[in-house]
Amino acid sequence: MAASRWIRRHLVVIAGLVTLAYMILPNVVVMVFSFNKPTGRFNYSWNHFSLDAWKSPCGAAGLCGSLGLSLQIAVYATIAATILGTMIAFALVRYRFHGRGPVNSLIFLPMAMPEVVMAASLLTLFLNLGAQLGFWTILIAHIMFCLSFVVVAVKARVLSMDPRLEEAARDLYAGPVQTFVRVTLPIAAPGIVAGALLSFALSFDDFIITNFNAGSTVTFPMFVWGSAQRGTPVQINVVGTAMFLIAVLIVVVGQAVSSRRGKSAATS
Amino acid sequence: MTETASTGQGGGDVRLTGISKKYGSFQAVQPLDLTVQQGSFFALLGASGCGKTTTLRMIAGLEEPTTGTVLLGDRDVTGLPPYKRPVNTVFQSYALFPHLDIYENVAFGLRRRGIKSVKKQVGEMLDLVQLGDYARRKPQQLSGGQQQRVAVARALINRPQVLLLDEPLGALDLKLRRQMQLELKRIQTEVGVTFIHVTHDQEEAMTMADSIAVMSAGRVEQLGTPGDLYENPGTTFVANFLGTSNLIETEVVGRDGDAITVSGSGGCKLTLPAARCSAPTGNGRKVLVGVRPEKMAISHADDAGTIPEGRNRVPGRIAGTSFIGVSTQYVVDSAVCPRLEVYAQNIERDGRLAPGADVVLHWNPQHTFGLGADQDIAAGEEAAS
Repeated sequence: MAASRWIRRHLVVIAGLVTLAYMILPNVVVMVFSFNKPTGRFNYSWNHFSLDAWKSPCGAAGLCGSLGLSLQIAVYATIAATILGTMIAFALVRYRFHGRGPVNSLIFLPMAMPEVVMAASLLTLFLNLGAQLGFWTILIAHIMFCLSFVVVAVKARVLSMDPRLEEAARDLYAGPVQTFVRVTLPIAAPGIVAGALLSFALSFDDFIITNFNAGSTVTFPMFVWGSAQRGTPVQINVVGTAMFLIAVLIVVVGQAVSSRRGKSAATS
Repeated sequence: MTETASTGQGGGDVRLTGISKKYGSFQAVQPLDLTVQQGSFFALLGASGCGKTTTLRMIAGLEEPTTGTVLLGDRDVTGLPPYKRPVNTVFQSYALFPHLDIYENVAFGLRRRGIKSVKKQVGEMLDLVQLGDYARRKPQQLSGGQQQRVAVARALINRPQVLLLDEPLGALDLKLRRQMQLELKRIQTEVGVTFIHVTHDQEEAMTMADSIAVMSAGRVEQLGTPGDLYENPGTTFVANFLGTSNLIETEVVGRDGDAITVSGSGGCKLTLPAARCSAPTGNGRKVLVGVRPEKMAISHADDAGTIPEGRNRVPGRIAGTSFIGVSTQYVVDSAVCPRLEVYAQNIERDGRLAPGADVVLHWNPQHTFGLGADQDIAAGEEAAS
């Protein structure tokens, strides 16, 4: 009786913890196996503890090259998609022009279409154009599918923005450029940042579209996929763990900064 | 149509000449001329959609007039964008910048004009609106009344030639609104800047403004001081929109010097001063006779003999009463006019004045005004409610 009452009272906490465990468990496995010293080529069963992989993260041939390429593409794709997407979002919300309706729905296509279909049609397009598959085709493909996520994120923010704020800025001696830089951009910033983060993550781990359009170029997800056939170096787990920790760190720092800012604003 | 609040040619007057605004086929503001004297508290009063906010936005530069010019003093600012006009606005929803704290909100205008040392001015301005302790808060951490004061400070710190207020008190509750009306009036007197205040609240306009332009359907109906508009409404719209008026349909039957005699239905004779009638007063002309409810006295029919000679009298029967503490409001049905309203001070209450009682309403003929009968007798009644 007492046990069932305790469970009932703490059901929400229990459910929360179980969900959390469900989500974190794969990361924990990756982390643990980054300290493994496997017997064969495959890092699938625990042998004994070792720091070898952490000491030489670039020890696996081709890994760091593909990681660098993926980061490079992700950064470029994020910058291009964020700038273009922000401008599209403003245009769609603020202006009435011919083709606004079709653009509004077409922009969702990359999100709605199965990735493999888009990958195949992009490949067809590139081949017909006679384009050399590689860095640039990957980048173009990534910018394209990141774009829709940026547009959606920024549009939501711009839609909820009071147009009077910009009028107030103009009324208070801010010219068009100043108004945009001092008022419009800071208020739209959370949407733009969300779109950029999403772009980075999507571009960095995209496999299907990249695989179709990469030619002989190898990105990090392609490297992981390729090595899974022939043997998985422990360094993959090291990179995975490092990225997980960096991401967690960024989130924690971000939260701490914003809560401190909120608190100081409330008390001063 | 020419309306002027002043005959003086002040150097800082706001002058609108032939200004109008058309959206597609909708004429939001009819061509109008308006002069607002420098240093005055001016109100544009009207129901929503009457064109008052559009007029204000044309002065601010946020709306481009279809025709006409805007002059500040001798300077034509019609073609100037808002950021080049020495005019600032307090917006209806305040439009405070949510990403900036109160200090930076107030300093915004100064910084945009390249002024580096803003600390002293911002401090003084925050003191003026009594928000010195809130400088580092964000707008959303302040109450509605406080936000409103920040909006005023943010505009006033720029020492504008004219401060435009677009329904600045609309979002506040009644008590706070009263308080802020006095506060705004205090600030205006203190800084001496011209205030142009847009409102749909006739009480607010009358409390605060030196002169009021009553607007309806994109037109200025009448312009004058609050007392003037109330005592001498020029149209039925103004008569009904500012306070309550009893309007009685009559026909002119005679004239004796300055006094016009009119006859209502049922043969009831009333007199009014010719100077207070804005309509033609030839014999046989239809005239709407108006009298404010508080100007009328109510007596029981049995006491009709005690009413002094020379007063306008209308017999009737009480249809309803409502007790409001300081006064009692009576609704009286009469052959001359149904549903006449009378406000009587509760000094000595007559117990016989209950619904169904026969009464005589009487008032000093000097308190009667006349309007042309070619207008809608109920104009402005709905707008006022």
